[in-house]
Amino acid sequence: MAIDSVGDSAKERLSALADGELDPAGSTTSCAAWARDAALRADWHAWHVIGDVLRSEDLASNPGHDRDFCAKLRLRLQAEPVVLAPAPAIAKSAGARFDRRARPSRWTAAGAVAAGVVLVVGTFAVVRPGEWPAAQVAGGDAPVSIAASTVGVSPAEEAAPQPVAIVDSKVFRDAQLERYLEAHKQFAGTSALGVPSAFLRSATVDSAAR
Amino acid sequence: MNAPDVDAPLVERVKQGDVKAFEMLVVKYQRRIERLIGRMVRDVDLVPDIAQETFIRAYRALPQFRGDSAFYTWLYRIAVNTAKKSLMELKRDPLVTESARAGRDEDDDNPRVENEPSDAATPDAVLASKQIASAVNFAVEALSEDLRQAITLREIEGLSYEEIAELMNCPIGTVRSRIFRAREAIAARLRPLLDTREGDRW
Repeated sequence: MAIDSVGDSAKERLSALADGELDPAGSTTSCAAWARDAALRADWHAWHVIGDVLRSEDLASNPGHDRDFCAKLRLRLQAEPVVLAPAPAIAKSAGARFDRRARPSRWTAAGAVAAGVVLVVGTFAVVRPGEWPAAQVAGGDAPVSIAASTVGVSPAEEAAPQPVAIVDSKVFRDAQLERYLEAHKQFAGTSALGVPSAFLRSATVDSAAR
Repeated sequence: MNAPDVDAPLVERVKQGDVKAFEMLVVKYQRRIERLIGRMVRDVDLVPDIAQETFIRAYRALPQFRGDSAFYTWLYRIAVNTAKKSLMELKRDPLVTESARAGRDEDDDNPRVENEPSDAATPDAVLASKQIASAVNFAVEALSEDLRQAITLREIEGLSYEEIAELMNCPIGTVRSRIFRAREAIAARLRPLLDTREGDRW
């Protein structure tokens, strides 16, 4: 059997992937090769039949049945929305992994600062509603000042929750989560409340699975 | 077990949107999942349908799989739950089997009772599986000592390349190559049996 070295090493990499002994970059290449190459798919099946039979002879099933099963499932998978998990990006190195982990804490810190500012401003506006707008109307006489303060109260109170909403929707979500939720909107009953309902639905499946 | 999950690289690929990586896991586990379901459900006709349902449910739930257990442990639980659910539905509605509900459009005029046995149960299929098992065993016996030891430690003992390298007192690269060569040698004897029909369908 003439084996060119390139094809051979692609096979050997696939064999290593079967044992979970291939790094993420190699796994990506190997999966792509598997998807392209029918001979590699036949090898993949044969190798797993070998492993199954070595562990237990009654796992030697009919190969025609295996093929039919997988062909049928492939059709059903094509009808499924593509799965995307929230966390992973292309983890090419351990460094990238650490970056990913560090990011949420950075956002949390930024969010905490923003929330803190909002809290201080909001408290100030609520506790001393009259004085702030009044101070802006510098040099005005008494009736104007009172009018300004009465008008000023409600915008100040309305303004307070506004930054909080921004904190909720922008700072605490990261871009990957955003993309994930975008991709899974069809699962969520509503688009506005997509976050909780997407996770609620998943939790049901998950608990059923456990 | 503290050993890293062998399926972690493939699971990671699926989570990044690679459906083909999920198919690879299906090819790997379909036989084990069908055997498991076959032990719970008496009707052999139902087994492939429940196994299909298991994999679809697993695919949908995969974003929530956090790797707290091995992927196969997680898949196993889904299979058990799916089989239980099907059995409950059968109890509630014993006449309508899953396969009947799946809609065999073309045989509407045939009476439903004549459920032909699936290929998993026919004498031909049983013979084919027996031939495969003996071909594998024969091929393993024919391997050189190094290759046989490497593939046995990997497939039967479930050791990692690092552990096998330590046991066999050789570099990890050598372990990887020995396991690969063992697989190729066994597969060469197996191929005539596996490629009984159009071989390019994989």
